[in-house]
Amino acid sequence: MIRGGKSYVSSPPSFSNDAKKLLVCTGDTVSIFSTTTALQISSLEGHTGPVTAVIVEPACSPANIILCYCWTASLDGTIKYWDFSVPELMKTIDIRLPIFSMVIPSLLSQQPTENNEMFAYVCVEGQIARREGKLVVCGHIKKCNLTKCRLAGGITLKETKKPELLIVSSSGKFLGVRVKRKLHIWKVPEMDSDRVVIKKVTLHHTKNMTVFAFHPTQRIMAAGDVTGRILIWRGFGDRTFAIGDASLNERDLKDDEERPGVRGDDDADSCTTWHWHPTEVNVLSFSSDGAYLYSGGNEGVLVVWQLDTGKKKFLPRIGSPLLYFTYSPDPSFSSISCADNQIHLLITPSMAILKSISGIKLPCSLPETHEGSCRGVAFDPLSGLVALCTENYCIQFYSLFEDRGISEVQVCERNHQPGDDITVIVNVVALSLDGSLMATSEVKLAEEGIGGLVCLKFWVSGSQKKELSLSTVIYEPHRDAGISAIAFHPTSRMAVSSSYGGDFKVWVCKDGIEQKDQKLQNTCWSCHAVGSYKKKAMAAATFSTDGSVLAVAAETFITLWDPNKVVLVAVIGESLMPIVTLSFVGNSEYLVSVSRGSKPQLSVWSLSKLSLSWSYKLNVEAVASAMDASSFAALILLPTSSKFMEINESSFQGRDGLILFFNANDPVPAVTWSVMKANGGGLAFLQVNPSSLEGNIPDGKSPQTLLAYINGDHEYVIFDPCGRESQKLNVIRKEGVAAVEGTGPFGYASLYGELPEFDPKRNTTSWVPSVSSERPWETIFSGSSHNLPPLTKLCSSFLESLLEKRTDVVE
Amino acid sequence: MTTAEVQPEQHHSTLSRTFPIKPKLKPKASTQSQNSESKYWSSFKNQQIPDLKSSVPSLSFSPSSSHLFAAAHSASLTLFSSFTLAPSSSISSFSDVVSSSSFRSDGSLLAASDISGLIQVFDVKTRTPLRRLRSHARPVRFVKYPSLDKLHLVSGGDDSLVKYWDVAGESVVLDLYGHKDYVRCGDCSPANAEMFVTGSYDHRVKVWDVRVDNSRSVMEVNHGAPVEDVIYLPSGGLIATAGGNSVKIWDLIGGGKMVYSMESHNKTVTSICVGKVGKVDLEESMQYRILSVGLDGYMKVFDYAKMKVTHSMRFPAPLMSVGFSPDSMTRVIGTSNGIIFAGRRKSKENVKSGVVDFWSLGSVEKPHGQVLRPSYHRYFHRGQSDKPSQGDYLVMRPKKVKLAEHEKLLKKFRHKEALVLVLGGKNPETAVAVMEELVARRKLLTSVSNLDEEELGLLLMFLQKHSTMPRHSNLLMGLTKKVLETRAEDIRASDALKGHVRNLKRSVEEEIRIQQSLLEIQGIISPLLRIAGRR
Repeated sequence: MIRGGKSYVSSPPSFSNDAKKLLVCTGDTVSIFSTTTALQISSLEGHTGPVTAVIVEPACSPANIILCYCWTASLDGTIKYWDFSVPELMKTIDIRLPIFSMVIPSLLSQQPTENNEMFAYVCVEGQIARREGKLVVCGHIKKCNLTKCRLAGGITLKETKKPELLIVSSSGKFLGVRVKRKLHIWKVPEMDSDRVVIKKVTLHHTKNMTVFAFHPTQRIMAAGDVTGRILIWRGFGDRTFAIGDASLNERDLKDDEERPGVRGDDDADSCTTWHWHPTEVNVLSFSSDGAYLYSGGNEGVLVVWQLDTGKKKFLPRIGSPLLYFTYSPDPSFSSISCADNQIHLLITPSMAILKSISGIKLPCSLPETHEGSCRGVAFDPLSGLVALCTENYCIQFYSLFEDRGISEVQVCERNHQPGDDITVIVNVVALSLDGSLMATSEVKLAEEGIGGLVCLKFWVSGSQKKELSLSTVIYEPHRDAGISAIAFHPTSRMAVSSSYGGDFKVWVCKDGIEQKDQKLQNTCWSCHAVGSYKKKAMAAATFSTDGSVLAVAAETFITLWDPNKVVLVAVIGESLMPIVTLSFVGNSEYLVSVSRGSKPQLSVWSLSKLSLSWSYKLNVEAVASAMDASSFAALILLPTSSKFMEINESSFQGRDGLILFFNANDPVPAVTWSVMKANGGGLAFLQVNPSSLEGNIPDGKSPQTLLAYINGDHEYVIFDPCGRESQKLNVIRKEGVAAVEGTGPFGYASLYGELPEFDPKRNTTSWVPSVSSERPWETIFSGSSHNLPPLTKLCSSFLESLLEKRTDVVE
Repeated sequence: MTTAEVQPEQHHSTLSRTFPIKPKLKPKASTQSQNSESKYWSSFKNQQIPDLKSSVPSLSFSPSSSHLFAAAHSASLTLFSSFTLAPSSSISSFSDVVSSSSFRSDGSLLAASDISGLIQVFDVKTRTPLRRLRSHARPVRFVKYPSLDKLHLVSGGDDSLVKYWDVAGESVVLDLYGHKDYVRCGDCSPANAEMFVTGSYDHRVKVWDVRVDNSRSVMEVNHGAPVEDVIYLPSGGLIATAGGNSVKIWDLIGGGKMVYSMESHNKTVTSICVGKVGKVDLEESMQYRILSVGLDGYMKVFDYAKMKVTHSMRFPAPLMSVGFSPDSMTRVIGTSNGIIFAGRRKSKENVKSGVVDFWSLGSVEKPHGQVLRPSYHRYFHRGQSDKPSQGDYLVMRPKKVKLAEHEKLLKKFRHKEALVLVLGGKNPETAVAVMEELVARRKLLTSVSNLDEEELGLLLMFLQKHSTMPRHSNLLMGLTKKVLETRAEDIRASDALKGHVRNLKRSVEEEIRIQQSLLEIQGIISPLLRIAGRR
């Protein structure tokens, strides 16, 4: 069982002392990446909840630069101390409260504390009394004695409504927290102990603040707000923190003078405002020498301000909102974390991106009108890759086994500007079975009805399997109708695209000459044939495993075609709602169809009888069928009705989906798993060659086929659907984020008592005229003439259909 | 629907990259583009050598490295240099029309025959006739030097005799009887000095061996038509014969079996020769082809390994003879009206010379010049003109992104100005591309509503010109409608704009008429197509 696809940007990362490693919080673990190769080296595993903070113990002298110790805090209520070079857990402190953020100022100040005690300041989630009958969760900022392994007794620095991020100055003298429009700043006492009074300053602003930073040497701090302004306070806390200094009187005198920009009675000398960002500021950080200020926000531009003059430099077109900026001990090296799950390693003076640690990209958000038309996930079952449509008009190839991004292909040559209206969507991606061909479809949305464009692109890979290059562009492949699905022929260079406009097209690749040392030249995809069935919108298309049959869903019917001659072979129908997904079940004679809407349906059709085999009323999100077996898996969404929610609460613990594993000839699912965030998820069977899995599967015998489940947030899990792992899943299921619970076949009927509408009579009915439709004359004559029954038979059934039926008089 | 093909390009990291605003790709022609072999054959740059007055019945290349070729025309023989394709000298000591010529294997002697029945042997350099061989009573049609023999000649003529000559003694060694009609052609074996073939108008091709006592042919094949030309293929085991509309390949070792008959010419095939395909540098990668020319004006290239015509080229005259230089750089074709179509490939001399330099560098140390000192002026210029050598590591300067004027405006979000700029520009493709970009930015209608009267006129003019173009009509038709809706007030107020709208209306009506007539034509054609499809 392999998990992956974790978010790399849930919390700020941290550099090791030699700046050669980057520690990134990834779910329950801390992954350690090499900054030179941007590949994962190792991981710290031990926490049972998401890790929220990682702090590397800084080296106090250049000789100690190789020391690799770090502190981590997690929502499971523990603080752990690691040697991450080995990696080895050294110490665990359990404070029994979920920790949302943690800072350890004494690590930074490098002062010997009293009794050599070390204190961490943590922001934990605590509960206070019931307010109006509800438990109110709030954040407490507390102090924790790391040496004695306990919370410092009774001290709560601040209570906030939500747990907030604690920030410490790089000198370790100050720490602060932002609460809506206020900044609370504490001075860390020089001789820290359990019960020392900590002084506090509060700074005010008129807007909600989003982020703030301390100057490394001077008493300057910067804060960003939701409108994009950056405020810079100079000389904060002079009055409060400087008691005992000689300059006290001086300050007092100055009090009466003008303090430009400082609000009310705030303790600061001056406050200036810079404004460049159009929306909220997410990133603020002073450079290590304090001369520059880095800021970034939703627009994906890193701005470098010269602190004295306010002059700006930009690193534009990062393409995603910035979340964190982390300085490394090496002053020329830093990292930015972006919302699209990428961490870019930056050379600071030249502002060049050196490497990118590429996590799995998040699903793109779509405008309402195009909801449901997106098939943004395609799997390459042989090499274990998944191709994902991303927001910046790219296709990201992500290796499921290695858990890292392999490459990106720019589908549409546009710069993505996060925050802009979405006007171009890459909505369909399809890969051929061997992964050497790719087809994408993009839609340019029209502005008030003009300028819309659908574009189909075919990509071929060169001699090496990696580089996909654009081969053919087809503008408006189905006039102005959008493409609903693309499927590749399993063996030959053929593809089919179906459209909502009521037709499908078969594309073939004309090969050029293959030259010895170069890749294929002059390959060109051209339209081989067009087919349609009664002008019905076609929402799904697929080839059978051997490529001899092409199935296209025309609204509620399934049409079967000969892919080479494009002749209609048979029509099977009909489902209750339009079919959205079709899949052949391995080499067996079954075909699975999925329809959504008010009467969702998962149906299995027998191709030998050309009739419905069995069906369920289930809201199916995705279907995958194994390549050589007669089994398939379906990801279903649990209903969200209020009645159901109660059952859900108790038995599913917030999981909203189920994976059912069927044998096509048996309507009772073989295995069932419950999953989280199933909406927008995907399923695929992966073919495994044992060498690629070495070390990942503990028992030597690795299975041939694995089932991959990717959830709505693109976290994924790969497991053996029919192996012994169903027991093992139970062990690991505590993992909160993408838990897959191995419940095995369980009381299905108790939950779905009203659902099964499996009708054994349907099995026996022959398909021809008796398709249970209200208007059978529509279907009697459908299909090509050689498939139709003899005219005598047809005629009688046709006449019969025209007659009025008086079923109610029978009694 | 349009399909466009894309050349592969390099993909960089997507970060920090600007994309130019490009017009939509244009579809390529659906016909297959050239394959590598037709590319090779079209790389012979055609050049006409006119002014030869009469038909060119024979072309022969010198096998030596001098690369001369001899073209026979009327009563003279002209030698051309195959490098410059210019006549270098001419021999005119013939009493009648020259029918054939042949170089000796070392290229120093040239034999030529004429209609009077005389065969003369010339020194190529001095052009003096050294020997005169007279024995044929009727016109001699072919004369040939054996490729492995410097002392003998083979000739054939209208007296249906094939003669084997001793050149030095000006005497006939053998008279070979057997043909029953004019002997028109012949070739000597590349593998054997004593064997040759001759072809005659009696449809027969005979293989002779001078070592056979009774002077009868060793083998005989029947082409089925008067034989115009016969050649040995380089292996020596196959021959190709041309006659009628066909070129046939025969296996001599296998007992004179026909291997293949190529019948892609429409008129009589007059001449064939062996050509070579492939890279010049790698001799082993060269493949042999048969080049055939005919009276239909076509030159066909035939791959006799795959039995396929790989290239075909049309010339504006009946073709009489063809020749291909031994270094496979030159191909010449003679026509019946006295023009020679010569083709020469670009030679890669520099490659060869580079190789030579490399070797000479290895053996001889380059004489070193003076050591440069800072007192010399040249010291400060040293190394400036150095070219990078092959193994050097190149540090690339980041490419500066060049932005067009409208892209600069778009970058500054000056949408209306960008639109006006491209409307006034010459390229409608860029204008449409900018409009598409504006649509993607949701700014097209805003910028249209901001246009002043003059600019609106510009837009209307553009729409009138291009909105009916099928490539752009999807966008422009919708835009036209929107413009007329939103700017109706302004248009009514101005006479100039009214004029534009009138023009627009006219062009739209025109387009509708065209569409209607197209529909009518489709109505006529589609039943026909359906009937045709049924069969």
